[in-house]
Amino acid sequence: MTGRDPIIVVRDLHVYFYTHAGIVRAVDGISFTVYRGETFCLVGETGCGKSVTAKALARIVPPPGKIVKGEIIFYPEPGKPIDVTKLGEKELERIRGRLIAYVFQDPSAALDPLYTVGYQLAETVKHHGIVKSFKEGFQLAAKLFRKVLMPDADERVKAYPHELSGGMKQRSVIAISLSTEPKLLIADEPTTALDVTVQAQVMDVLKRLKEEKNLTLILITHNMGLVAEMCDRVAVMYAGKIVEEAPVDELFKQPLHPYTKMLLQAVPDPSRRVERLESIPGSVPNPLNLPPGCRFHPRCPHALKRCREEEPPEVYVSPSHRVVCWLYAGGRRG
Amino acid sequence: METLRDKVYEKNILDRLADMLVDGIASVIEKFRPGWRARNEAKLDEYRLMLYTLNRSPPGLIGLMLIIGFVFTAVFGPLIAPLSYDTPLVFCNYEKAYLAAPGTTIVVPQDCNSCSTVEECLELGIPPGKYTLVFGADDYGRDLYSRLLYGARTSFIVTVLTMAVGPLIGILLGLVAGYYGGIVDEIIMRITDIFLAFPGLILAIAFSAVLPYRISDILQENVVLRDFLLWLFAVKPEHAPSLAYLVSVVIALWIVWWPGYARLVRGAVLSAREATFVEAARALGVPVRRILFKHILPQPTVSGPLIAYLTTDMGTVILVEAGLSFLGVGAVPPLADWGRMIYDGARYFPNAWWLVFYPGLAIFLTTLGFYLFGDTLRDILDPKTRRRIRFKVKRGVAV
Repeated sequence: MTGRDPIIVVRDLHVYFYTHAGIVRAVDGISFTVYRGETFCLVGETGCGKSVTAKALARIVPPPGKIVKGEIIFYPEPGKPIDVTKLGEKELERIRGRLIAYVFQDPSAALDPLYTVGYQLAETVKHHGIVKSFKEGFQLAAKLFRKVLMPDADERVKAYPHELSGGMKQRSVIAISLSTEPKLLIADEPTTALDVTVQAQVMDVLKRLKEEKNLTLILITHNMGLVAEMCDRVAVMYAGKIVEEAPVDELFKQPLHPYTKMLLQAVPDPSRRVERLESIPGSVPNPLNLPPGCRFHPRCPHALKRCREEEPPEVYVSPSHRVVCWLYAGGRRG
Repeated sequence: METLRDKVYEKNILDRLADMLVDGIASVIEKFRPGWRARNEAKLDEYRLMLYTLNRSPPGLIGLMLIIGFVFTAVFGPLIAPLSYDTPLVFCNYEKAYLAAPGTTIVVPQDCNSCSTVEECLELGIPPGKYTLVFGADDYGRDLYSRLLYGARTSFIVTVLTMAVGPLIGILLGLVAGYYGGIVDEIIMRITDIFLAFPGLILAIAFSAVLPYRISDILQENVVLRDFLLWLFAVKPEHAPSLAYLVSVVIALWIVWWPGYARLVRGAVLSAREATFVEAARALGVPVRRILFKHILPQPTVSGPLIAYLTTDMGTVILVEAGLSFLGVGAVPPLADWGRMIYDGARYFPNAWWLVFYPGLAIFLTTLGFYLFGDTLRDILDPKTRRRIRFKVKRGVAV
């Protein structure tokens, strides 16, 4: 289980996009710690900044996005901190893939259509010096493809992305990402583009490999079922901020933030018949024009006057459970 | 597996040739790598489709024919030319050879006035034989036909040398500007704009007027390079000093030829770099150089227009090179160069019309060939336009 040995510590991270329409504060001051060996989930609606956060961790935020403030301390080994925000492009190339790897949302888009999947894996491992030649790379590819339970792995290595199904593509993406034996794997909605039965298979593969290789996994999703199944700890994001962070059991049993509560209510319960699916009234605020005070107050049923004016404080209800909300600011603060 | 080869109903002879070509190449590869064919049948189908598309485009075929003719002439022209580019037949028979009309026949040494024996003629640089001047001769009695053949070589080499470097600079800068964006993009593109705002031809004139002095020094020092260029341009060793002018044209074109490419590539890269697999490659730590050349440049949205533009641009280079020579900054006499031939012949126009007409025709046909073929290539390389043929083919409609 999780030791208290951090692998990545994010402090007060701000990522802004400087667009023609104005500054989009996609990630606006978030902090969290991920411990070695655990599965950490970032949950939130589309556009809340979870993917941008994930991309910031290896500094692959696409332009015009910029990390304007904050630090990302990465511990490849315990006690050897690297501040990712201060690295040059050359050093980053060594970290990306080798230490921090990604699995993207849409496997069809994440693979270059012009090369076979085996080639793409071989390219990665050859570049990182894991194998000497492309030939060895292909052999390694076949081995790893078997590991991700790719049917007929030896032949699939020579397949082009368009010749594979969605599930097989995502499995090859996972194989490529894990080929360099990274310490930290960031999976950005890895199953959104797949159909439900395949989703389960892909998540199984991820789970198994994670245990086998003692990986740390940051899972980004909006699927609460997946969160319950996979995660150790969860952070809920809303409009560029973390509103609540807790161990997964606690979050499901005792959600504190009104947004978390509503998010959990929105998950349909298969054992009950419902006339209408629950949803959260209103919509995500325009990131160019965020409401003052608590960003959730226009949609919040418990909004106080104070919520409209002042940013809510961070309240630790227990050492591992924090919530950013005025409702819990009195007395239980600490 | 049923391939496209079997699905086409109305095949003309060119389609059959295309089939033979594709099958031939495939079976050769199959011999070395068994099993290759079965795996790559879809790829082969695409090549067939490309060739079928070409076969259905008369302008493209004409263009290809003209290009093949030009390249053939350039490579073998100096070998099949009856006379050298500087053989002055006027030394033999001034009356007959001076501005000889097309079709004039001169027999050396029988027709000669100034030399009566073979040895004497050879001393003047004129090998004996019977020469029919099919395209006439110029004021030195030089066979226009031979000079045109040599001129093809000059044009061809200048074009190849220019296109080997100029676009490369543009492609590199375009890739870098498009990929990095921001300040890098600003700087590169503003410099590009400066070059584009200045007429390329004028700039090229300036450079090719200034460069020859330095280059002729370099060529004098570097014998190996000089001999290599002599061989490339099929120029006699005694005319080596003239080489400097041709080389200057090439270098001048390098300097002015890249901005168009920088702009074209940069625009295409802007959209291509947004592809998730580019981001994924970056996330995997693939170095920028590799991403640019392996994952961005080969994308059809980048390479397709680029190849088409390169082809049409060859025509433009030939035109501009001829233009420079015509304006007097390119090739110098006695080298054979189409542009220079028009310039030299202009003063005898319209009496000796052939001196202007035939070189002009050569430039026109060659440029036309590249333009026509380049245009068709765009259609062939774009998978979407290529598909239109396939649907027609499937239904068995004459395409």
